[in-house]
Amino acid sequence: MIERRAFRAMGTDVELIVRGDADDDRLDAAEHEFHRLEALLSRFRPDSELSLLNREGVLAAGPDLRRIVELALEGRERTNGRFDPTVHDALVRAGYDRTFEEVAPEGRAPASPPFVVGGVVDVQPDRIELGPGVRLDLGGIGKGYAAERAADLLAPGGACLVNAGGDIAVRGGPWPVGLETSNGPLTLELSAGGVATSGRDRRRWRREGRELHHLIDPRTGEPSASDLMCVTVVARDAVDAEVDAKSLFLAGAALAVAEADAAGIPAVIVTAEGRTLLAGGLAA
Amino acid sequence: MTSHPGRLYALALSVVVFFLAWTVVAAHPWQSAAADQRRLAVTRREAQLRHEAKLVQRVVAARWAVYRRALRNRRAAIAAAQRRAASASAVAPSAGTAVRVVMLPPLTITRTS
Repeated sequence: MIERRAFRAMGTDVELIVRGDADDDRLDAAEHEFHRLEALLSRFRPDSELSLLNREGVLAAGPDLRRIVELALEGRERTNGRFDPTVHDALVRAGYDRTFEEVAPEGRAPASPPFVVGGVVDVQPDRIELGPGVRLDLGGIGKGYAAERAADLLAPGGACLVNAGGDIAVRGGPWPVGLETSNGPLTLELSAGGVATSGRDRRRWRREGRELHHLIDPRTGEPSASDLMCVTVVARDAVDAEVDAKSLFLAGAALAVAEADAAGIPAVIVTAEGRTLLAGGLAA
Repeated sequence: MTSHPGRLYALALSVVVFFLAWTVVAAHPWQSAAADQRRLAVTRREAQLRHEAKLVQRVVAARWAVYRRALRNRRAAIAAAQRRAASASAVAPSAGTAVRVVMLPPLTITRTS
């Protein structure tokens, strides 16, 4: 028997799935965790901890924000800067300056030059300090983190899966997880870890005829010109999956397969030309 | 005193006494003690400032030493991180995540988040 609960949080659809008799208290706690973390991490809420940090440049942040920023910085180091939480201003410049539902599908091109990404972020035991002009966006990694925290709350009740708009955390299993490829639907079965997909097939808009999307390349400060459409990664948790999916997407087709194979990261890579490539030990 | 020499002596004595008094008054003997007090105060203040300057130098030296230690540690951490980054791939190993492609209907889907 499978129990499901679906709701909106963090600007996306969230799904909690548990095997066996669902404990409503656990489901309530997991749902509440999403709303709690959204209130801390949303860059669209002026009173969130993240907005305060971005405004003031320094904040006596709570443990969740400190931990997520630490994870994001670890991701930045691990991916040699391909994943970078300091893309906030570049995202805003590209037009993603409000919740995605409110972003105009058409509009004028950005007037200002691209922002330099990669400024100083210092996480201390009692506070976070940002370098001059540095602001953070934790949208993707925040969803992965929330999925993991919610899964932690559900797991004592049995096998569970938490899906935060595509960022998936799994405890126990096996769980069949589907994804769209250029060759049609594909199902991956996993019993632990996390899954995430990054791509430019969603969250995109146009400015003066040019298509823009939410995946900023820190090297240019602009939406990535990757020759990939999307990348799905399976990793030890949803946070790592999110970081690796973004990194492989920005790497482009030529490097993504080689890197996934070398590191043993199961990945499904869909190119803009419509090819689907399995890497990191995955085989059809 | 009616004799002429006596009057001359008295006059000369008066002139001498007058100039002696003039010299004494011109020397401002009543001010010397106050001037010494001010000099003493200035000297004391100078000594105090020298003492405070030494304390400040000691504090600055201590903070400079702490900063240099922190800088050394920070540089070592950056160098270690750069070594790690150079030796590692741009993506993390999957730590043996068990996953396979199956021909089952999915229970949920992943998509660009």
